[in-house]
Amino acid sequence: MILHTLNRSPATSRVYQQTLDAMASEDRLLLIEDGVQGALPSLSPLFGELSGRLYVLQEDVISRGLEERCDPSIHVVNVDGFVLLTEEADKIVSWF
Amino acid sequence: MPSSEIYRYLDVGRNKVPLDTESYLIHLNDWTPAVAQAMAAEEGRELTDLHWEVIEVLRDFYHRFEMAPSMRPLVKAMTQTYGPEKGKSIYLMRLFPDSPAKVGARIAGLPKPANCL
Amino acid sequence: MNDIAFNRLLVVLRHGPHGSSWLREGLEVALVGAALGQDVSLLFYGEGVTALLKEQQVGPLAQKGTQPMLEMLPMYDIESLWVDAEALATYDLTLDELVVPAKEVGRHEVSDLFQRHRLVLNF
Repeated sequence: MILHTLNRSPATSRVYQQTLDAMASEDRLLLIEDGVQGALPSLSPLFGELSGRLYVLQEDVISRGLEERCDPSIHVVNVDGFVLLTEEADKIVSWF
Repeated sequence: MPSSEIYRYLDVGRNKVPLDTESYLIHLNDWTPAVAQAMAAEEGRELTDLHWEVIEVLRDFYHRFEMAPSMRPLVKAMTQTYGPEKGKSIYLMRLFPDSPAKVGARIAGLPKPANCL
Repeated sequence: MNDIAFNRLLVVLRHGPHGSSWLREGLEVALVGAALGQDVSLLFYGEGVTALLKEQQVGPLAQKGTQPMLEMLPMYDIESLWVDAEALATYDLTLDELVVPAKEVGRHEVSDLFQRHRLVLNF
């Protein structure tokens, strides 16, 4: 399993499409920095194929004032959760 | 392309050739066989015909690819030009003790190889 | 997943020449990896396929072109070059127009490529 991280908003960058194309069926995606905008209900359907394998970093959500606005089906993890995801992955690929 | 400041000058006949802190040429166009001789003499190295073969290969590599080779591609380029007997790192180590890619690039008037430890 | 040789490195190039330094940096990392004995593959992904255009030149401010670096790859035994078939179509390119030989990979095969390498570095 590969852990992918994405730090660009799907509203402004098409990198998310490259990310999804490169993901295998077990892989997980963690949205970080501006990527957390993808957790908004208006944008989260773009990641619909990932059901259960989509995560968002709490610190970046909170700092952007989006905590109450996230799609509830997305897993919110803090930095410790990020570390745990990293440990469970064979490798990490970052998208930017 | 000059990449650093002049640290000192090398005497080559009546000319003074500027070098950087690691004794690479500041201006690659300054290179002549006499510059190579002077660099080698300064370090107590004697350049034989076998050394000049390597220098030729290094200069040709830079001319083709705009980068000085690290050890792996230098070995490959030697193999392509002079065959497998000379395309060996041990062979190059004997000619240019310490680090053939770095020492060779310096004497051949190339920049320091970037991807070389 | 542990049957992957530990020294397999995939460098993903997603940028064309001149717009940024990502392409050159990615290629430099590939060369360093190869110099250190890694088994390096390259994937030209998305805009990265434009790095393979034959007609590319030095930049207007005399920035070095990438063509000599690409031509140098075989000297570092980097022979495994993959190119995003969908992006070739996007940029209206065909395989025989590329500066170095590469194999096409469909978007659904990209994830296989990622799984087969011990380390994947994105540029």
